[in-house]
Amino acid sequence: MDMENRDTKQKHYAKVYRADRWAARFITAGGYGIIASIIAIMLFLVYQSLPLGKNASLGDVLSFKVNSPENQTFLTGVDPYQEIFYTLDPKGKLSYFNLDKNDINSQYQLPLSGEEKLLTAQKGNLLSPVFAVGTDSGRIITAEISMKPEWSDAGRTIVPSFEVIEEWQFTPENDSIENHIETIAFVQNEDISRFWAWLDHVGGLHLRILDGEYDDEYLHDLSEYFTDTNITALTISHNGESLVAATRDGDLYWFALDDFEDITLKDKWRASNRPISAIAYLLGDQAIVVGGADGSVETWFPVRTEANWMKFQRIHTFEPHAASIKLITMSSRNRNFLTADDKGNVKLHYSTSGATEFNFQPTDYPISTITFSPKSDAIVAVDAQKNFSLFPLDDPHPETTTRGLFGKVWYEGYQEPEFVWQSTGGSDEFEPKLSLIPLIFGTLKGTLYAMLFSIPIAILAAIYVSQFSPTWLARMVKPTVEIMAALPSVVIGFLAGLYFSPLFEDYLTGFLITPILLLVFFFLAVLAWRSVPEHIRAKTNPGQELLMILPLAIISIYASLQLGPLVESWFFGGNMQQWIFSNLGVTYETRNSLVVGFALGFAVIPIIFTMTEDALTNVPDSLSSASLALGASRWQTVRKVILPAASGGIFAATMLGLGRAVGETMIVLMATGNTPILDLNPFNGFRAMSACIAVEIPEAPVGGSLYRVLFMTALLLFLFTFVLNTLSSIIGERLRKKYARF
Amino acid sequence: MSQMSYFKKKGDPYIFAAGMGLIISLGMVAWILIVILAKGLGFFWPRDLVEVTLDDGKKYLGEMWEKRDDYDRHETQLKNGNRDLYGIDFVWMDDANIVSSEYPEGAFTFERMEYGNFYGYIVAVNVENQAVTAVDGDIVSKAYDAFELAHQTHDEVVETQQEITDLTEPLTRLQREISLLEIDRADRTEEGRALLERYRKEANEMEQAIAEEYLALNSELEKLVIKDRSIFLSVRTTDGRNKDLQLSHVVRFFAPNQMGIFEKSWHYMGKLWEFVADDPREANTEGGVFPAIFGTVMMVILMSIAVVPFGVMAAIYLNEYAKQGVVTRFIRLSVNNLAGVPSIVFGVFGLGFFIYFVGGSIDQLLFSDKLPEPTLGTGGILWASLTLALLTLPVVVVATEEGLLAVPRANKEGALALGATRWQMIRKVVLPNAMPGILTGLILAISRGAGEVAPLMITGVVKLAPTLALDATFPFLHLDRKFMHLGFHIYDVGFQSPNVEAAKPMVYSTALLLILIVILLNIVAIYVRNNLRKRYKSSTF
Repeated sequence: MDMENRDTKQKHYAKVYRADRWAARFITAGGYGIIASIIAIMLFLVYQSLPLGKNASLGDVLSFKVNSPENQTFLTGVDPYQEIFYTLDPKGKLSYFNLDKNDINSQYQLPLSGEEKLLTAQKGNLLSPVFAVGTDSGRIITAEISMKPEWSDAGRTIVPSFEVIEEWQFTPENDSIENHIETIAFVQNEDISRFWAWLDHVGGLHLRILDGEYDDEYLHDLSEYFTDTNITALTISHNGESLVAATRDGDLYWFALDDFEDITLKDKWRASNRPISAIAYLLGDQAIVVGGADGSVETWFPVRTEANWMKFQRIHTFEPHAASIKLITMSSRNRNFLTADDKGNVKLHYSTSGATEFNFQPTDYPISTITFSPKSDAIVAVDAQKNFSLFPLDDPHPETTTRGLFGKVWYEGYQEPEFVWQSTGGSDEFEPKLSLIPLIFGTLKGTLYAMLFSIPIAILAAIYVSQFSPTWLARMVKPTVEIMAALPSVVIGFLAGLYFSPLFEDYLTGFLITPILLLVFFFLAVLAWRSVPEHIRAKTNPGQELLMILPLAIISIYASLQLGPLVESWFFGGNMQQWIFSNLGVTYETRNSLVVGFALGFAVIPIIFTMTEDALTNVPDSLSSASLALGASRWQTVRKVILPAASGGIFAATMLGLGRAVGETMIVLMATGNTPILDLNPFNGFRAMSACIAVEIPEAPVGGSLYRVLFMTALLLFLFTFVLNTLSSIIGERLRKKYARF
Repeated sequence: MSQMSYFKKKGDPYIFAAGMGLIISLGMVAWILIVILAKGLGFFWPRDLVEVTLDDGKKYLGEMWEKRDDYDRHETQLKNGNRDLYGIDFVWMDDANIVSSEYPEGAFTFERMEYGNFYGYIVAVNVENQAVTAVDGDIVSKAYDAFELAHQTHDEVVETQQEITDLTEPLTRLQREISLLEIDRADRTEEGRALLERYRKEANEMEQAIAEEYLALNSELEKLVIKDRSIFLSVRTTDGRNKDLQLSHVVRFFAPNQMGIFEKSWHYMGKLWEFVADDPREANTEGGVFPAIFGTVMMVILMSIAVVPFGVMAAIYLNEYAKQGVVTRFIRLSVNNLAGVPSIVFGVFGLGFFIYFVGGSIDQLLFSDKLPEPTLGTGGILWASLTLALLTLPVVVVATEEGLLAVPRANKEGALALGATRWQMIRKVVLPNAMPGILTGLILAISRGAGEVAPLMITGVVKLAPTLALDATFPFLHLDRKFMHLGFHIYDVGFQSPNVEAAKPMVYSTALLLILIVILLNIVAIYVRNNLRKRYKSSTF
C-alpha cells in the first residue's frame, strides 16, 4: 500500500516536473519569439530588396556550329521557350534548328532567282517576327517567321513556319545594271503599315511606305538631302513616325514620316566628329542609340527646347568599344540594348541609367548577327564562322541602380535629369521611373508639417496637465487622450479628406489668420490679467485659468473665420487661392499639406502628450520640493527644474511621435492628392512612402522591380522608425536609471 | 515687486499658453466626435421633402442636404435623387434664386434597389393590369397593399427559382462530372468509356424523370415573373416626368412630410437596424454594413487566438523566467520597436511572407491541382489576421506585463514556499491575478485591430465579399476567403466609389459605428485596468 502510494506520488511528481519543464520551454520560446519576429521582419524585407542590387550576369553558354554552306548569317532568333532557333544565310535559306539536338528542324527558301544574293536584312518588329531583305538585283522581299507552340499529350512542341508576304522590285531612275539594295531599315507598326528605307548602289536613300489601312503605296527618293555625303546607317522608329539616317561625317538626319505623302526633314545635326557606323531606335521610340566608327556609344532623344520645339540631345555616353560599332540590337521588354563591334566584342547597356552592365566576347570571331530572346532572358549570337551561341541572361532589375533610385535621371521626354516617381504607364513601352527621392521627400514633408503643429500643442498640454491642472482634470484628460490615440486613422483620414479639406478651402484665409489672432487675443488677455488686482489674482485656484482660456480660444477662432473674408479682400485681392497661385506659384490643392499636418496631429499629439506627461510626472518630487522650499514659484520650478530634468524624456517622446508620423498611412493616403512632387509648399500635397506602398503593392507583379522597390521602401520606413524607437527607448531607460536614486 | 517681474516669476502667460495647448487637444477630440456623431446619426432620420421653385421656373423636389455660406453667397444643396432620370442626385442652388419652397403632403420618398432614391408623387397603382388612380379613393393604402403583394410575389419568384435549382442540382452535378471526364479524355481507356457511358445513361434517365416537374415549375416561374413585373406604381416627378416603379424593386416608400415624430423615430430605428443587419446595395453606398461588421469580428477573433497566447507567454517570460539582463533588455527593445514599426510595413511583410511565401508554399504542397489559381497564396482572412496579430503583439505584451507586475511578490513567494513548481505558481497564482491585465491587452488589441486598415488593404480585404468566411457549407470556416472590414469600407466607399457625394452619409455612419466600437472597447479597457490598480493597492504587504 505504501509502496503503491509512493509510486503514484512519484508519477505525479514526474508529471508536475515534466509540465514545469515544458512550460518553461514554451514560455522561453515565447520570449525569444518577440526578438525573432522583429528580426524576421527586417531580414525578410532585406531579403526581398537585395536582388535590386544584383548585377546582370550571363549563364552557361550553349554553343555549336551551324550546318550551312554559307559563312555569313543575316538574321537569327529563338522562340520564347528556347527550343528552336533560326538563321538566314545569303542564299536566302532560312533554317530552323532544334536547340537540344543541334539538328535541322526544317528549312525554307526565300524566292531568289539564280545567282541572286542577299545584301542586307532587318527585322521589322520587336514582337512579331517580320523581316525584310534586300538583294543584289534590287529586290526587297518581306517575309514572316513564326515559331508557335502547340500542346499535345506529349507536351509542348514548337512548330516553325515561314511565309513570304511580298516581293517587290526596286527600279532606280537611272536604270543601272548594278541595282543593289545595300542597307535596309524596315518596320511594320501596329497598324500593319510597313516602312522600308534603303540605300541603292550609289548610296541614294529611298523610302517606301505601304499604308496598312488603305493599302496605298508611297515611294520617296530622299537622296537630294545627301548630295555631298555618304549615309552609313538607317533606323525607323517602331511606330513608323520617324526615320533617322547617319552619315560618314557624323551627322544625323531626322525625317518625320507622319504624312506619308510628304516626307519632311525635321532636323539635322552633328552628333560626332567621327563617322557613325550604326544607329537604332530603342523601345519606346524616343531614344536612338548611336554607335560610332571609333567605338563610341551614345543615346540621344528629343527634348523640348525653350522655343517649344523638339531637338535631339545627347543624353548618355556609354563605355566605348575599342573598335567600330557594327550592330545594335534592343530588348523588347525594357531599355536594355546590346552593341557589338567589328572585333566581336559585345556590351550590354541600359539606356535609362546610362550604365554599361557588362562586356563579353561571345566567340573568337566577329559577330554576324546578335539578338535578344523574345522574353529578354537570353542573348543569341552567330559569328562569322557560323558558330551559334545562346547565353542565358539574368538581368531582372536593370533600372534599379543606386543612381536610378536616389539620383537624378534623365528620362525620355523630360527636359533635364529629374527625380521622378512614376512606376506604371499605359503601355509596355513605358519607361519606369523609380526614384525614391520624391517619396522620401513627401514623407518628410508630411512629417514636418505634422510635427510643427503637434509638438508645441502636445508638450504644452502635457506641462499643463502634469504641473498646473487640478487632479480631477488630469484624471479626465488622460482617458480622453487615450481615446484620441485609439481613433482609427482611417476615420481621421476620411474626415480630413472629405470634411475638413473642403471646409478649410472655404474658410482658407480665416483658418490661416487663426494662429495670429489667437496670439493677439492671448496677449490682450495677459495684459487684462495684469490689471486685475493682485489679491484677486492670488486667489485663483489651479485649473481656473482654463475658464479664461476656453472662451478666448473660441472667440479667436470665431473672429478669425468672420474676419477671413475682410482680410482676404484687403490683403489678398479677394481671392486667396488666386493670390497663392500668382504670388507663390503653386496651384492650391484642396487636399494639401496643412490639412495633412492637422490630421496627423490627431495621431501624433496623444503619443507625444502621454510620454511627455509621464516624463514630467516622473521627475522626483524631492527635486521640485527642494526648489519650492527655496522660494521658487511654481512656474520657476517647472522651467528651471522639472523641464530640464525631463528634457530627455520629452525628446524621446518627440522621437516616438516622429516615428508615428513617418509611418502613418491612411491619413496621408486620404488627406493628400498623392502626387509625387518635390515642393515644400504647404498648399499642395505630396506622395508619402507609406501611402505609395499601400496603393501600388497590390498591383505590382511579384518579384518585379516595382515590387522589390516597394519592399525596399518598406525597409527604409522600418529602419527609420527602428532608429527613432531605439533612440527613444535608450533615452527613456537612461532617465529611469538617473532618477532611480532620488 | 513690479508687475513685469511678477509675471516673470509667476509665469502666468506661460501657464496660460500651456492651458491653451490642452484646450486645443481636447477641442480637437471633441470636434471630431461631434462631427461624426452629428453626421453619422442624422443620416437615418427621414428628412422632409421640400419642393423648391426657382426664379427661372425650374422646380426641384428633394431633401435639404447642405448649406454653404461662401461669405456673401448662400447656397443650398438639394438631394433630388432620381438618378435614372437626372443623371446626378444632387443640385446646388443659389438661395437668391429661390422663389418659394413648400413641403407638399403627397410627396413620397422611394428607396430603391437601384439608382438610389426616387422623389415624386404617386399617380396610379397598377396591379396585374388594373390601374387605380387618385380618383378612385385612398391610393396610398392601395399602394402599400400592392407593395406587400409585390414583395410576396418576389419572394415566391426566389423560392421557385430555388426549387428549380434544387430539382436540377443532381443532374447538373452529373453533367459536370461528365464534362470533366471528357476534358480528361477518359474515353481513351476501357473503364473510362464504360463510366462515361453509364453516367450519360444516368443523366438521360434523370432528365426524363424530372422533365415534367421542371416544366411545371418553369411555367409557374414565368407566371410569377410576369405578375411581379405587373405590380408597379406610376409616379410623377415634380417637373412632370412620369416613371413606372416596379414595386418589388422598391425597398420602402414613405411620405416624410406627413410623418409625426413617433413615426419618424420608428422609421429611424428600422433604418438603423437595416444598417447593421443588411447587406450593402448600390456599390456599398446604401443598405447595411453587416458583412463588414461580420468580417471585422471574424478577423479580430482569429487575430486574438493568435496574439494572446504568444503575447502572454512573452510577458510571462520577461517577468517570471528571464534573468533581468541583456536578453530581457533586447526583448523589451524589440517590443518597443515592434510597437513603433509602421502598420504598412507589417502589411508588406504579411503580403510577402505569409501570402506569397507561406501561402504559396502551402498551395504548392496541398492545392497544386488548383494552380495557377491560388488558394492560400492570395490575400485572405487568415493572413490578414496573422499580420494584425504581429502588429498587436506589443499591445498584449505591455498590458500583460502590467498585470503581472501588479501581482504581489508575497503571493508568488508564498506559493513557491509551499512547494509549488514555477509553472504551478504561474498557473494558480500569477495568471488568475494577472487576468485583468491580459484582458486589457486583449481589448486594446481588438480595438487596434478593428481600426487598422493599411495592412489589411494588401493582405485580403475587399470592397465586396460575395461570401462570408463562416457559413453552412463544409468546412464552415473558410480561412482562405477574402473579407470585408469596417475601416476599409470607410476608405473604399468614401474615396473609391464613383458617386462620392451620395456615398458620404454611408461613410459617416460607418465611421460612427467603428468609432463607437473602438471607444467602447477602450473605455472597458481603461475601466478594467483602473480596477486592477485599485485591487492591489489594498493588498500590498
